[in-house]
Amino acid sequence: MTALSAIDGTNEDKAAADDVTAVLGQDLNGMLRILTCGSVDDGKSTLIGRLLWDATDLYDDQRATIERSGRTAGGTDNPDFSLLVDGLVAEREQGITIDIAWRYVDTKTRRFVIIDSPGHEQYTRNMASGASHADLAIMLIDARHGVKTQTRRHAAILDMIGVKRVILAVNKMDLVDWSEDLFRAIETDFKALCKNFGFWEALAIPASAAGGDNVARRSENMPWYTGPVLLEHLEELPSRGTAPTGPFRMPVQTVLRDGRDFRGLAGTVSNGTIRVGETVVDPISRKSARVQRIATMDGDLESAHQGHAVAIQLDTDIDVARGSVLAHNDTLPTVTRTLKAKIVWLSDVAFDPRGSYLLRSATDLVPISMLEITALLDLDSLDQKPANVCGVNDIALCSIALGRPTALDTFSGAQETGSFMLVDAITGASIAAGVVSEASNQATDQAGDVFLLTRAMLDRGLCADLVTSGGSEAEFSRRANEVALILRAAGIKVEVESPPDYQI
Amino acid sequence: MSAGISHLDLLEAESIHIFREAAAQFRKPVLLYSIGKDSTVLLHLARKAFWPTKLPFPVLHIDTKWKFRDMIAFRDKTARDFDLDLIVHTNYNGIEKGINPIDYAPSVYTDVMKTTALKAALDEGQYDAAFGGARRDEEASRAKERVFSFRAEGHRWDPRRQRPEMWRLLNGRLGHGETVRVFPLSNWTERDIWRYILREKLDVVPLYLAAERPTIERGGQLLVLDDDRMPLKDGETPVMRSVRFRTLGCWPLTAAVESTATDLETVVAETLGATTSERQGRLIDHDQEGAMEKKKQEGYF
Repeated sequence: MTALSAIDGTNEDKAAADDVTAVLGQDLNGMLRILTCGSVDDGKSTLIGRLLWDATDLYDDQRATIERSGRTAGGTDNPDFSLLVDGLVAEREQGITIDIAWRYVDTKTRRFVIIDSPGHEQYTRNMASGASHADLAIMLIDARHGVKTQTRRHAAILDMIGVKRVILAVNKMDLVDWSEDLFRAIETDFKALCKNFGFWEALAIPASAAGGDNVARRSENMPWYTGPVLLEHLEELPSRGTAPTGPFRMPVQTVLRDGRDFRGLAGTVSNGTIRVGETVVDPISRKSARVQRIATMDGDLESAHQGHAVAIQLDTDIDVARGSVLAHNDTLPTVTRTLKAKIVWLSDVAFDPRGSYLLRSATDLVPISMLEITALLDLDSLDQKPANVCGVNDIALCSIALGRPTALDTFSGAQETGSFMLVDAITGASIAAGVVSEASNQATDQAGDVFLLTRAMLDRGLCADLVTSGGSEAEFSRRANEVALILRAAGIKVEVESPPDYQI
Repeated sequence: MSAGISHLDLLEAESIHIFREAAAQFRKPVLLYSIGKDSTVLLHLARKAFWPTKLPFPVLHIDTKWKFRDMIAFRDKTARDFDLDLIVHTNYNGIEKGINPIDYAPSVYTDVMKTTALKAALDEGQYDAAFGGARRDEEASRAKERVFSFRAEGHRWDPRRQRPEMWRLLNGRLGHGETVRVFPLSNWTERDIWRYILREKLDVVPLYLAAERPTIERGGQLLVLDDDRMPLKDGETPVMRSVRFRTLGCWPLTAAVESTATDLETVVAETLGATTSERQGRLIDHDQEGAMEKKKQEGYF
C-alpha cells in the first residue's frame, strides 16, 4: 500500500488490492523480446494477431472491432486476426529510414515485446537492427513452400547479430492436410541449415495461425506432434537477463562522486557476475583494486549480474574513467588497436575509403585510422567474395585500425563488449553495425607514414589549460580524438599517443 | 534482484543505463518535468541512475500559469525533497498578449504557452539534450520512436535523420545544430508506470485520487474549478462531486471523472480494469491526449 492509500483496511480496500493484482499482475515472470521474420504472405500478421487474440490482454472492444469487421482468416470461419497487426503497421509508416515497430503485450505470466520490421525491401538492415534487440526470433514459413533461400538469409543475419534461439513456425499446415511427413522433411532441412550457425536452440513447430493450431493451444489436427506449443514455449524459455553468461564485464559509463568519500564507477554489468571482495582490473592501465561496495539507491548488493545497473566502489582509486571495461584478472578483454569484424552497412551513403569514421563501443568512442573492406558475404550461398566496397544492406568483412587502443572482446566471447557502431565523424550518424571476429593484442605494425599525435604536442597548446588546471584525462582524450579526426579528414594517417601509464 | 528477475527490474535497469549514457555523452542535458505520473517515474529513475550524487542536470517545468494549484505545490515539494535544480519557464509574452485556455482554441493556447515556451526555454538554456517521458506504447506514431531522438535546428523532427539503434549502444554524437530528446521510458507501458509507482511507493499529485471538488458540467465533461478565473455561463452552478483525474494538465482543459477511488490501488484497478464501456470512455480521453501529443510533436516531443 502506498503512502497515499491511508484509508483503514476495509473490505473495499482488500477487494481493490485484489483487483489491482488481477489487473496488473504482481510479478510478470520476466520479459522476452521476440523478432518476427517472414513475409505477410507467410501469414506473419495472422500469427502475431492470433497470439494476441488467444493469449494476451486485448480489450473487449478491440475484440469486438475484429469480429465486426466481417473479414475472415483465409479459408476458415475465424476472424481475420491480422487486422490486429496490419492496421497498426499502416499507421506507422512514417518514412523513418529504418523501421522497427515495437509492440508490448502481457500474457498472464510474462511480458512479450514483439519487434516487427515491416516491409520487404531493405530487409537486411531492418532485420539486423530488430534482431539486435531480440532474445528470440520466430521465422515463419508457408508449409507448402518449405525452407527457402529467404529462411537461410534470415538465419544468417540472426546468427551474425547474436540471436541464440530460433523457432521455425511452419504455418498453413491446414493447406497440406496436416501432413506429418511434409513437416518432418521441413524440420530436417531446417536443422541441417541451423548446423551452419551458432544457435543454442532451433525448434520447428507445425502450426496454423488462422485456426490457432499449436499457437496458444495444442492442435487436435496434428496428434503426431508432441513438441511444445508456441505460446507455452515462449512462456517457459528463460527470461531476458537470465541467460547464462561468461566472464565478468562492466563498461564504465560515468564516475559518480558525492563530494565526500563516495567514488562509484557507474555502469551496467554486460556479462557475467561481480561480487563484493573480488578484484577487478582496468584492462588498459592493468591496474587493479578490490570491490568494496556494489551500490544502488535501494541498498548495497552482495553481487551484480548481467543486466544490473550499479555503481561499484573500489578500495583504492585507480583512476578508471568512462570507456574502460572492468573485468576479472584471469579473463581480461583484449586491449587492441586492430581488429577484424563483420559489419552490416545501414546508411544510404556507401563506404568511402577517405571518410572519417569513429568506432563506438559499449562506452568508448575511438577514432578509426584505417577501415578496409576485405569481402562481402553472400547471404544466399554464405560464401565470402573479395571486395573493397560496401553499401546499404551489405554484410562485409573488414579490418579496422584504431587511433588509440581500446578494450574489446570477440562477439562470440561477450556480445556487448564485442559489438560496435561505426559513426560518421562529421554528421554523427550511425552508418554501420559491427561484431568483432578477431581482436589482436599486438600493437599495430602500420607501415611508415603514420603521424603520431604526441601528448607533449597537445600539452603545449591545445590542452595547455588542462595541464595547468589539472583537468581530466577524458577531456584530454576527447580533444585528441577530434584533432585526429580533422587530420584524417585531410588524408593524414594519424595515431594518438597513449597515456603515460599505458602498457600492452 | 537475483533469481527470477521481474520485468520491472529489467525496465528499471535499462532506463538507468539510458540516463547514464545521455549524461555522459551530452554537454548540457535537462530533464523535462510535467508533474504527472510519467514524470514522477522518470525523475525517480534519474535519481537512481546518479545516486548518491545530486542529479547532474536541472529539471525544467514549463508553467502555463494554468496548472492546478495542487500540481504546483507538489512540484515545489518534490524539488525541495530531492534537492532538484528546478527551472520554471513561462512564456510571459503569451500571457501579456492575453493567451489563455478559456478564450483561445486549445491548439493555439498549447502552441504558444507550451510548445513555443519549451523551445525558448531549451534555446535559452543551450541544452543539447532533453529527457522526456514519452513511451512507445502511447500511440501508433510513437511505436518507432528512438531512445535518442534527434532534432534538427529549430527542434524539427526529421524522420530521415533518425539513427538506427542496435544492441544497447547509444550513439549521441551530434551533427551541426542538432539536439536530442532522450526517452528513458521508451519500453515502458502505461501499466508498467502504475505498477512501478505502486512497487516503489512513489507519491503522486493528490488530484489522481478522488475527493470532493467543486465541478461544473460543460460540453458533456466535468471541469473542476481551481480558481475564479473561469467565468460561469448561464445556468452553470458549481456542484461538489467526488472526482479524480486520469491525466493532469491545465485545469480548464482537463476533464475529471466521477470516482470514489481514494487510494492508488483502487485508482489503478479502475483505470486499467477496463470493462468495455469504461475503456471506450477512456478512449475519448486518449484521443484528446493524442491531439495534444501532436502539438507536442511540432517541437515539444
